Amino acid sequence: MRVARVIITARSPRWAREAALKMTGFATSVIGCKCEAGIERELAGSETPDGRPGISVLLLTMAREDLAQRLIERVGQTVLTCPTTCCFDGLPEAAERVGVGSALRLFGDGFQGSKVIGGRRFWRIPVMEGEFLVEDKFGLQKGIGGGNFLILAADAEAALAAAEAGVEAIRAVRGVILPFPGGVVRSGSKVGSRRTKGMVASTNDAYCPTLRAVTRSALPDGVQSVLEIVVDGMDAASVTRALRVGIEASCREGVLAITAGNYGGKLGPHHFHLRQIMSAGGTGR
Amino acid sequence: MTAEATLTLRAPLRHRVDGGSVAWGALRGLDAAAIGSQEVWVEGEGRTTLGDLFEVRGAPAPRIRLVGDLASMDGIGAGLAAGELVVEGDAGWYLGLGMSGGVIEVRGSAGPHAGGAEPGARRGMTGGEIIIRGSAGPQAGAGLRRGLLVIQADAGEGAGQAMLAGSIVVFGSLGPDPGIWSKRGSIVAFGAHAPPAPYRYACTYHPPHLPVTLLYLRARHRVPVSDEQVAGLYRRYSGDLAELGAGEILAWIP
Repeated sequence: MRVARVIITARSPRWAREAALKMTGFATSVIGCKCEAGIERELAGSETPDGRPGISVLLLTMAREDLAQRLIERVGQTVLTCPTTCCFDGLPEAAERVGVGSALRLFGDGFQGSKVIGGRRFWRIPVMEGEFLVEDKFGLQKGIGGGNFLILAADAEAALAAAEAGVEAIRAVRGVILPFPGGVVRSGSKVGSRRTKGMVASTNDAYCPTLRAVTRSALPDGVQSVLEIVVDGMDAASVTRALRVGIEASCREGVLAITAGNYGGKLGPHHFHLRQIMSAGGTGR
Repeated sequence: MTAEATLTLRAPLRHRVDGGSVAWGALRGLDAAAIGSQEVWVEGEGRTTLGDLFEVRGAPAPRIRLVGDLASMDGIGAGLAAGELVVEGDAGWYLGLGMSGGVIEVRGSAGPHAGGAEPGARRGMTGGEIIIRGSAGPQAGAGLRRGLLVIQADAGEGAGQAMLAGSIVVFGSLGPDPGIWSKRGSIVAFGAHAPPAPYRYACTYHPPHLPVTLLYLRARHRVPVSDEQVAGLYRRYSGDLAELGAGEILAWIP
């Protein structure tokens, strides 16, 4: 996958978050949303190019071309439109770059202007509120999507509590996002479909408690509910770190097992072996 | 490779020196002897070399330092495309003439036409950054095409005259007729200023690119920018309305 880091700043943390929440909305899975996106972390003014509070967003797609298009769509519709925001490239050192501000500038209808500051080009687009500042090009790099673990619990309450604890721990890790609602997936999928030709993904019946009696179940005895945490990241090390702290935090009362969906190795080239990860120094490969 | 090469003036200049013929952009790749062999012209005396005027030490280096009062030396940094040039004192006319990249820092003041166009030419500097710690003479940044010109004290008459793009930031007072005949580009005024007649007030707002510029200047060039200037309100004047009108004077409200 390819990943971009978008820095959104605003007059206050509230407005930076408003824009970031919109930008990362409906971006849970490339299967249905064309991209995966999430909030990486909040930024202090000392960490942003304009000294204002900000939010770091990661956005991932399968291909480079898709990434450019998704950035243009999402920055244009959710950040440009949001009061007081500016939008900066969070990977200025990346060699591979795609035009974002260079496309959005056309909204300025000829009244836009550019500034080169410290070797970086920005576009000033006049809007009713004042001006929107957006970086001309955004860096991208290879990223990793779909790092995951499954929480197999004795009941739904225990599964949810464990997932919440895992999510909270992972949110402290830099370089990763949790693209699903609240960081948690209840509808883990398998690759393809038993019944519908051409379907990319369908319910992971092996882990559905209600199907234990009618399918080849992977659930141990006593498991009544399963939740999944999906982690996307900048690199294997970040995803590994996130999985480790997430699993550690999720191992609590009512959790009977932790496993991962490997989808027969069909999900991608990176395999995160949980036993290795939980041992010291384990990394995904 | 040493960090910098230093050219120290051997004796005060008695006549104007035309440094425009020096290949300033190439100095960073030269050793002391080659730098010393660069030709300059001395008014009334004719051809001489940098080595005759300066004691040259340490080279090659990406940073060239000129030490001495060079208020009588014109065309310092002409044609610079990369690297860093530091003048430990004043500089003469046409600082950074035809400059397209790199950084020039003048720790004193600069004469007329800093970053500007040469007589009859339409374009001044086309890239790079000039930081003048003191004042600048008339027509600083005249015809500026791209790049950033920072004047920490006062700017003379006609700063940014006929500029085409780029930015001029003046922390002191701005002389008469700033930005006259300009098509695009920004003049940022922190001190006394009087927008010329063909400029019209647009609004008072927070220009979002200015904090980026000012924080960059503070971090990269140690320009003393206050937090109030970073977060402040600015009056925007659009002009020159007799030209394209896409230029602006952004005047800080203390």
